[in-house]
Amino acid sequence: MKSRNRKNFPDIALNAARYVFAFIMVALVGALLIKSQGNDPLEALRAIADGAFGSRRAIGTTIRWMTPTLITSISAVIAFRSGIWNVGIEGQMYMGAFMSAVVGYELCLPRGLHIVVCILVAGLSGMLFALIPALLKSYLNVNELISTLMLNYAATFLTEYMTFKYMGFDSSVLADAVATNEMQETARLAKLIPKTSATTAIIIALALAIGVYLFYRYTVKGYEFKMVGENLRFSKYGGVNSRRTFMTIFLVSGFIAGICGGTEMCGNFGKFRTAFATNLGWDGVMVTSIAQNNPLVCVLVSYIWGALKAGSLHLERVTSNNRLIVNIVQALFVLMVSVDFKSLYATFQNHRQYKKLRRQGGSETE
Amino acid sequence: MKDIILETKGIVKKFGSLVANNNISIQVERASIHAIIGENGAGKSTLMNMIAGIFKPTLGEIYVGGEKQVFKSPNDAADKGIGMVHQEFMLYPDLKVIDNLMMGFEKTHHGVFLDKKKARIDILKICKGYNFNIPLDEYARDLPVSMKQQVEIVKVLYKGADIIILDEPTSVLTPQGIEGLFNALRLLKSMGKTIILITHKLKEVMEISDAITVLKNGEVMGSVLPRDVNEQILANMMVGRNVLFDTKKSPKTLGEPIFQVENLSAHDDNYVEKVKNVSFDVKKGEIVGIAGVAGSGQTELVECLFGLRKASGGKVIFNGNDITKKSPREHRLAKIGYVPQDRLATGTSVEANITENAIMGYHITHGFKHPMLIDYKQANDFAQQVVNDFRVKTESLKNPVSSLSGGNIQKLVVGREFEQDIDFLIIEDPTRGIDVGAIEFIWQKIIDISQQGISVLLISHELGEVMELSDRILVMYNGEIVGNLKNSDTLDEKEVGLYMLGGKKDEIAQ
Repeated sequence: MKSRNRKNFPDIALNAARYVFAFIMVALVGALLIKSQGNDPLEALRAIADGAFGSRRAIGTTIRWMTPTLITSISAVIAFRSGIWNVGIEGQMYMGAFMSAVVGYELCLPRGLHIVVCILVAGLSGMLFALIPALLKSYLNVNELISTLMLNYAATFLTEYMTFKYMGFDSSVLADAVATNEMQETARLAKLIPKTSATTAIIIALALAIGVYLFYRYTVKGYEFKMVGENLRFSKYGGVNSRRTFMTIFLVSGFIAGICGGTEMCGNFGKFRTAFATNLGWDGVMVTSIAQNNPLVCVLVSYIWGALKAGSLHLERVTSNNRLIVNIVQALFVLMVSVDFKSLYATFQNHRQYKKLRRQGGSETE
Repeated sequence: MKDIILETKGIVKKFGSLVANNNISIQVERASIHAIIGENGAGKSTLMNMIAGIFKPTLGEIYVGGEKQVFKSPNDAADKGIGMVHQEFMLYPDLKVIDNLMMGFEKTHHGVFLDKKKARIDILKICKGYNFNIPLDEYARDLPVSMKQQVEIVKVLYKGADIIILDEPTSVLTPQGIEGLFNALRLLKSMGKTIILITHKLKEVMEISDAITVLKNGEVMGSVLPRDVNEQILANMMVGRNVLFDTKKSPKTLGEPIFQVENLSAHDDNYVEKVKNVSFDVKKGEIVGIAGVAGSGQTELVECLFGLRKASGGKVIFNGNDITKKSPREHRLAKIGYVPQDRLATGTSVEANITENAIMGYHITHGFKHPMLIDYKQANDFAQQVVNDFRVKTESLKNPVSSLSGGNIQKLVVGREFEQDIDFLIIEDPTRGIDVGAIEFIWQKIIDISQQGISVLLISHELGEVMELSDRILVMYNGEIVGNLKNSDTLDEKEVGLYMLGGKKDEIAQ
């Protein structure tokens, strides 16, 4: 009958081909872009590689930028796998960051404990902020794509407002200077590699990635989360409490996004500066779509992301290229990876078969 | 000299390594009703899809009216006068009937503006000519199933079809509806149209067809004339072995009522009351069948009974406990199982593999050694048990469900529920669109399970199925239970049909 031959399809080869194709396309377009600016693509590439891997300092910078990307991508994996479009990761991260900066300054605790408290508070704040769209979705059926997207702006401006209030600034203060007090030394994460910007936050990030992978692989809840994403009706019928599952997923996703804010504060920033993170939440969304919701692949992709970011900063310093070029290249990569090769392949096959039939002497149908 | 309007020569269709059609050659005579029968996976639909231009054959040739054709799309086939009425109706529920009919074949002024007047005149001409009486200005969603089918047939005629392919047309109809359809088909035939009928109902094949082609495993088992064969011979040709149509029932004693429904009412998603004050009970070990025309409220009733829909009034009592407001999870924990009607939309997750599908529900009712962790050995054992006991044809438990054929998916869904520890089982259309062999198998399993003392509520749109299996038949019409009939050999299908159409109503006594 209507047999689908999906299992015969070379899935792994196809995925590999997908990445190779995307890489080549991106390299070509990137080179063209750089060329069109009158610069030398090879020189630019060298600068990026230098900035990402060229020295101990460069490697440190790569890891430093890999960390938040990985955590936000894990937050996105949790949501996207279950079909929840939480694109409010950025906002949840802001809330987490602000609260952990406050706790980091206000409390006096022993070193280890202080960090744990800061990061937990960050996670909880992110979670509370995610509760808003979660409730809206569960009880009023509000599309989370819109609510989370909009709440990102709410979070950025709300944290800015809270910083003003908390620090007692008035409107005469320059926007650049709006920041909380420096956090206590006891709340700061140690350096992973001395004299670089890589902190031990990467360990937290990796632990999260592995934990989430194991969660999906081995736990009953992980199974339910996955099934809810694949076929909601099927899960409901199977006895999964979908409303509670949705809430849990939303909150866990928000918690992890909040943690990212915490590790950023305890790791590199040391105080909450308004609008401190440009696009960290969105990086996570992009990385997840490239990694196709696989937390282990996220590690690899966010490493590349970190390298590109570190490289692009260096690129701007040593050449006349703009680092936005790298952003364009990153976005292109996401675009290329999401091409549906299966249907392209099927269309191509059909077309070929049709031509073959025609050649065998079929009469004209028109 | 026969007048052959459609001929296939050596058609081969491969999907990857799977050969769905192998060297199929058939001849269809003009102005005849030609039945194509075969088990699920025999390649009937594949063959028809090629004739209708939806698939392209890997090898082989199709001739229409003696001319060789290569169809690039269904439109090419339509140009040559071939139209297909699919099993699942392809109507836009939110459009009016007339707009549905025009869709894809619009008449226009100057190539831009829709000419609805002309379309209406043409459609009315067809309706009159072939004696179809369909309301053109109603929304498609409001039509009863048999009417939707007529709309589909008119659509095909409007596109100028001379050869009409009908895929399992009777599976959704009442006996009266089937009679109406057959009269229409006979009229079409007498006016020179050619009909190709795909079905698995042998009685109907014997009744209406002029020629029969039997397919098995993608090959032609034989082309016969109805006067040369009988149902038993056809069934044996299809399955390749002897088929017993009478399920083995041994007498059983029924216990106390364990499942009671009291004055239950429910709305559909548009707040239309679909279940009206329904009361019945099911005794221990009893099979109660609910018959009714599709859309009489069965879907909403079942959803209520399993906690997927909120009741607007009344009570559901199971084993003495009020379970009206319980969730599906709590229903499962109370040992109630459910086989949903739609195996793809509700019954499975097609992307997930067989094990993941098999343990849905089981992971709640039985659980694993550690309550939080999935024990993959146990999960695979259970999946293997379902696959073995219900003869699900698959190479590996790791294959996605999308790689299985419809009948095998159905066996997986049914098996998953049957193999769990249950006291009460709600089954909705367990044999929809599957082949004779699988139907026989599932029917026997239902009988077996009731012999073990498990109560069954069987909701089916196939009256034959309800009559075959049930101890007692409830007939649902327009949201109400209008008949409560004890099943016996003397019960007449026509009489039940009368209840189904609202022509007869009992004052229901429990």
